[in-house]
Amino acid sequence: MKVLFVVEKRIDAGSIHAVTNYVRAGDALGHTFALYGREDRRFAQVRFSMELDKFDYVLFVAESRLQWMNSLRLAPILSNVPRYRRVILDADGMYNERISINGYDCNHLHDRERCAWLTTFDYLADKILQPTMKPHEPRVIPLLFYGYDPSAQMKPAATVPKRFDIVHVGHNWWRWRQVRDSLLPAIERIRSQLDDICFVGAWWDALPRWATALNLEVAFAVDNDHFQRLCIQVRPPVPYTEVIRTMSEGRVNIMTQRPLFRHLKLLTSKYFEIFCADTIPLVMLDPDHAESVYGPAGRRLALHDHIDDTLLEAVREPQKYRAIVEEVRGHLVEHHSYRRRVQELVAALEA
Amino acid sequence: MRLLIVSKLDRFARAVNTIVNYMEVGKTLGHEVSLFAEQSSEFPSVPHSLEAKKFDVAVFVIYESWDFPDMPYLAQLLDGIPRERRVIIDCSGRYNETIRVEHDFNHLEKMDGHQGWEWTEGFQAVADKILQPTLTPLRKDVRPFLFHAFDPMSVARDHRSPTEAARTWSAAFNGSKSYGVAYVGNNWQRWTQMRPFLEAIEPLKKDLGAICIAGWDWDKRPDWAIQLGVHGADVDPVLLQRMGVEVNKAIPFNEVIKFLGGARFTPIFHRPLFTHLGLVTNRTFETFCADTLPLLMLPESQVEAIYGSDASVLVPGDDIAGHITDMMCRPDVYWNAVLKTRAHLAQRHSYHQRFRELLAILDQ
Repeated sequence: MKVLFVVEKRIDAGSIHAVTNYVRAGDALGHTFALYGREDRRFAQVRFSMELDKFDYVLFVAESRLQWMNSLRLAPILSNVPRYRRVILDADGMYNERISINGYDCNHLHDRERCAWLTTFDYLADKILQPTMKPHEPRVIPLLFYGYDPSAQMKPAATVPKRFDIVHVGHNWWRWRQVRDSLLPAIERIRSQLDDICFVGAWWDALPRWATALNLEVAFAVDNDHFQRLCIQVRPPVPYTEVIRTMSEGRVNIMTQRPLFRHLKLLTSKYFEIFCADTIPLVMLDPDHAESVYGPAGRRLALHDHIDDTLLEAVREPQKYRAIVEEVRGHLVEHHSYRRRVQELVAALEA
Repeated sequence: MRLLIVSKLDRFARAVNTIVNYMEVGKTLGHEVSLFAEQSSEFPSVPHSLEAKKFDVAVFVIYESWDFPDMPYLAQLLDGIPRERRVIIDCSGRYNETIRVEHDFNHLEKMDGHQGWEWTEGFQAVADKILQPTLTPLRKDVRPFLFHAFDPMSVARDHRSPTEAARTWSAAFNGSKSYGVAYVGNNWQRWTQMRPFLEAIEPLKKDLGAICIAGWDWDKRPDWAIQLGVHGADVDPVLLQRMGVEVNKAIPFNEVIKFLGGARFTPIFHRPLFTHLGLVTNRTFETFCADTLPLLMLPESQVEAIYGSDASVLVPGDDIAGHITDMMCRPDVYWNAVLKTRAHLAQRHSYHQRFRELLAILDQ
C-alpha cells in the first residue's frame, strides 16, 4: 500500500517523528509512506512526494489548527484524490462532542467552532482515525498511530552525561495546571535532595506574543517565579531528532499530558520516545491507562500518588526502576512497534 | 448554463463590480450565475449558492490564495464539480514564472507564504482551463480572456455630441465638479506611477483645482509593509500634503462612477506587473462610464489594442502638464475621443460580449 501523509511540518512539535518511522517501517514491510511536499533539508529523514496519483491513500494528520493548510495548498490534493481515498488522523480529538475539562482545557471553545471542525472533517475524508483505544464517537476508528522504535533506543554507553536529575520535554500548552498543582509541590518537598531539574520546550519562560490576541493566555500560563524558586532551568525546544538524546540527559524524565488528551486517552509520540531515551520515564497518567498502554509494569511508572516519594526513589534507586523500564520496553516491542502500527494502519485503510 | 463564481467579494477591491455585472448580464441572456458562498447581507442582490452539484461550471476568479474557499467549502466544491468543468480566471498573473517589475511581483513568499510553484501547480490541479485578462498571455497553456468589461448602461451622462459634452464639462468647472483630478484605487503598486503624475501636474494645480485620491493606504505606508520590507504600498505623505491632495477612504464599488464624475480628469494606471503582462482591470473599462476625461497612463500599444485608435489622444505621453492644458483648452477634441472610445468599448468590450466569449471558451 502507498500512503501519503499530509502533516504540518514542525521541526519541534507534532507528528513528524512518527512519519519518519512509518517511512522506515513501511519500507521493511513493502509499503510506501511519504510526506506530501517538496524535499526539505530540515527534514532529512523524511521521504517527500508530490505525486498524488501514485498513492492509494492520503492521510491528513489534523492537529489543533483547522486551517493550517490553506486552500491553495489543499486544492491539488482534493482535486486529485477522491474523498474515499482521503483519511484523517484526528490527533487532538477534535472530532468529538465539545469537551471542557474543569473549565480549563477544551477541544472547542464553542459549538460554532466544533461545527466547523466536524463539517470540515466530514467533507475532507471518508475515514476518521483517532490515536486512542476507545474513541467516543461511533464514526471514529481507533488507531493508536504512534509507536515504539526499538532501534532508536539510546544505549547507556552512547548517552551524553547525565546533567539533570529530572527532565521534562514538552511545550507548555495546557500543561501548567498539572505542573503547578501536582508536580511542583512534590518537587518542592524534595527539592533539597535533588540536583538540577530542567524543562525543555516552548513557552515555559513566557507567553507567546500572539496568545493574548487569540484569547489563549490560559493555555500558556506559567509562573517564572515559581520555577526560579525551585531552581528549575528552562531550555528552548529541540528538534524532533534531538528529543530522545535530550531526554537522556536526565536520570528521570517526566511525561505530562494536557488534560483533554488525558481525558480522551489520546496517545502521542512522546508516549514512546520517552522509553527510547536512556532514562527512567515516569508518566503522569492514570495508572489504569498507563497499564493499558505500557503493560502491567507501566502501572509502576505512573506518577500519580506520592509523587515526591516516587521521584526521589527513581533518582536514588535507578536499578530498581531500570528493571521495570525494561519490562515495559519488552511490552512496547511486542505491542506497539511501528511495524505493528503500519500493519494496523494498512488494515484500517483496507477495511 | 449554470455558472458558479468562486471568489471572495470585497466592496472596495478586486473584481466585485465585474462579477456583479456578470450576474446581471447572465440573467438577461438566460443563464444562471451565482456566487459560491453562504448568503451575505453585504451583497443582498448577489445570488449565493453552496449547492455546487447543481451547476454546470465553476469559474474561479483568483487574485489571492484566499479567493479559494476555505474548508469545508473547498472540498464540497471540488468534489461536486469535476476538474474538466472548472475554469480559473487568473486576474493577477499568478500562473506564470516568478516575475519582478520594479517593486511589483506576481509571487512573494513573505507576503502570502506561497512559493511560485505552488501557484502554478495549484492552478493546474484545480482547472482544465486557465484564462488571464490579457490579450498576450506569456504561457501557451493560458487562454486570453479580458474578463472585465464595459457597461454602456452605466455611463453616467450620455452626451449627444462632443461639443455638448465639452460645453457641459467646461461649465462644471465652477460648479458641479468638486475636483480637478480624482483617482480611485487602493495603494498597491501604484506609487511609482502616481508620484511622477502628481509632480507633473503640480504646476497646473491652481488651474486644475483640487486633487483627490480615494482608497486604502494612501495616508501612510502601512506598518505591515514596513515590517515585511515591501515597497508596493509606498507613499509620500509630505508630497501629498504639499500639493494639498485630499486623501479619502476607499469608495464602494457601486459609487465609483459617480465619484469619478465629480472630477474633470481621471488617470487610469495599471500596476507595473499588469502593464508588463498586459492585464486589464475593472477600472480599465469602468472609468469610461464616468463623466470625466480619462487620462490613459498606459502604453500606447495597449491603449490601441483595448480602446481602439481614437483613444490615443487620451494618452498624455511624456508632457502630462502640456497635454492636460490642451485638454482644458480644446475639450471637444478629447470628448470626441471619449465618445468614440465608449462606442468602441460598447461594441467590442461589453459585458454581453464578454459573457458570450466566456461561454464559447467553456464550450470548447
